[in-house]
Amino acid sequence: MESMLSTFIIQGLHGLAYGMLLFLVSAGLTLVFGMMGVLNIAHASFYMLGAYFSYQMLKMVGNFWVGLIVCPLAVGCLGILMERFLLRRVHAGGHVQEFVITFGILFVVNEAVKWIWGTEPLPVPIPAALSGSVIVVGSVYPAYRLFILFFSLAVLGFLAYILMKTRLGITVRAAVSDRDMVSALGTNTPFVFMLVMGIGSWLAGLAGVIAGPFISTYPGMALEILVDCFVVTVTGGLGSLLGAVVASFIIGQLSSFGILFIPRFAIVFAFLLMAIVLIIKPSGLFGEKA
Amino acid sequence: MRNKNSYIATAIVVTALVLLAPSLLPKFQLRMLTEIIILSLFAMTWKMLLNEGGLFSFGHAAYFGLGAYASVLGWLHIKGLSFLSGVLLGGLVAGLVGLILGAFLVRLSGTYFALLTLAFNQLIWAIVWKWRDVTGGDDGLGKFPKPDLLGISMKDPGNFYFVSFTIIALCLFLCWYFTKTPLGNVVMSIKSNEERAKFIGFNVNASKLVLLAMAGFFSGISGALYAQFQEFIATSTIDAGMSTNVLFMAFIGGTGYFWGPILGSGVFVYLSEYLSSFTDRWEFIFGLIFIVIVLFAPQGILGIVKQKK
Repeated sequence: MESMLSTFIIQGLHGLAYGMLLFLVSAGLTLVFGMMGVLNIAHASFYMLGAYFSYQMLKMVGNFWVGLIVCPLAVGCLGILMERFLLRRVHAGGHVQEFVITFGILFVVNEAVKWIWGTEPLPVPIPAALSGSVIVVGSVYPAYRLFILFFSLAVLGFLAYILMKTRLGITVRAAVSDRDMVSALGTNTPFVFMLVMGIGSWLAGLAGVIAGPFISTYPGMALEILVDCFVVTVTGGLGSLLGAVVASFIIGQLSSFGILFIPRFAIVFAFLLMAIVLIIKPSGLFGEKA
Repeated sequence: MRNKNSYIATAIVVTALVLLAPSLLPKFQLRMLTEIIILSLFAMTWKMLLNEGGLFSFGHAAYFGLGAYASVLGWLHIKGLSFLSGVLLGGLVAGLVGLILGAFLVRLSGTYFALLTLAFNQLIWAIVWKWRDVTGGDDGLGKFPKPDLLGISMKDPGNFYFVSFTIIALCLFLCWYFTKTPLGNVVMSIKSNEERAKFIGFNVNASKLVLLAMAGFFSGISGALYAQFQEFIATSTIDAGMSTNVLFMAFIGGTGYFWGPILGSGVFVYLSEYLSSFTDRWEFIFGLIFIVIVLFAPQGILGIVKQKK
């Protein structure tokens, strides 16, 4: 009985770690959608770039922690460039064009990654300080996953602070609910968009860096997380950060326990959930507009 | 103003080219032409949803793949199922599914519509992938019968080309004709202003449903012919990759024009054939073309051509 319980707890922790990773990626996706109305498919490729940059950094500098700071910033800059030189130019053309251009970027980045780093999975070792394991309720648990958990919680706290307590956060929240009004009140919305795009990409890059030693670095990782991110953002409500937190938790547990009990159909559940939410309540659990 | 004679001359030249293609073209060129023709109907249905209905489908391969799988299963398990009945079966199954899923889809628009089509596509794909006993899963289905049509062997590439051409041309004509019908006009009015169309008294959701079922039906026909063209089907006919291919075809040709998707499927087939022959990373170039098209020619190649005139 006790071993059963500890299996549950360990599996729950696994789900929590993956859920937090999902949250980091989905947060950027949902923020950008909330503000600009664009479903940025290329977001997933930023996540992948984070992982590959981190691999490269580790090869050159040999220190994981340097990569954890530098690589997400580099990815964030790419996001800003993408907003400034690609998305903004087609903004007037409507959402379909914006959507399609992010699609093209996904293609280009995915293929470029295969070109530069090859198609084989690349090993990213767990940093030495976290390579051990911890005893959790009588079972051995890898320390790195606990690190993912606490690190993501810290990022979540940081984001919540920015959104709720700073002037930038107030502007962003206002722009999510009514972009034109905020613009009319004198805020430089294109600049805020660029910034949010940068922060969103930074988050994706961050998730990529910490995902490297966790899920390994390979060219298919972008598409894999993209699907789960869609499910998270839709279920939580497009544009809602709180929704992203809750839905990431649900999807993390669903995939963790799904693999344990019904491995054959685990993949179906996520899509089923997404379809059901869209049919019953398109605005998701916490979304405001649909 | 072009006069009537030039239209007749163009028609004669085109007809002659279509008739002579099997004897003039080398075998692999004829194969590519057949593929272009079959895929053009698929691209046309996607373009209809966007251009006529204002609906962005991100899971269009569901209907194409269902058509392919339904017809192949028909040919495999129903004794004596003729060529045309098999193709029709594919269309009907896809159309029926289009109708059922459409009932959920019509209430949504924009990104939510696109995401629900994606979810449906992925669900259907997962079922096809996992239901190995029936669909063959990863291994796909091959070695299904290719029945003769009125005593003409479909195994001959030339005959198959003519038959595909005739079926597709008829379907394309029906797609075009739909935009001229009162119902087609209602659908287009919804795209321009849904609120107003509703206020005038049109049943907006029912009209969209018809469009979705129609798109499903024609995609299914295209998928069924594609299955016979490949003589093999796998999950690649129903996965998200196929859903993005159709997006590419419609966009590169021009989503605002009748000939856009047809031209687009031509460009797609040729590009993927030639690019993949000298690089593994041809999708990189596809992505670049995507970006360039959206940035500089949002109305596709035909948009550029029409602007120059």
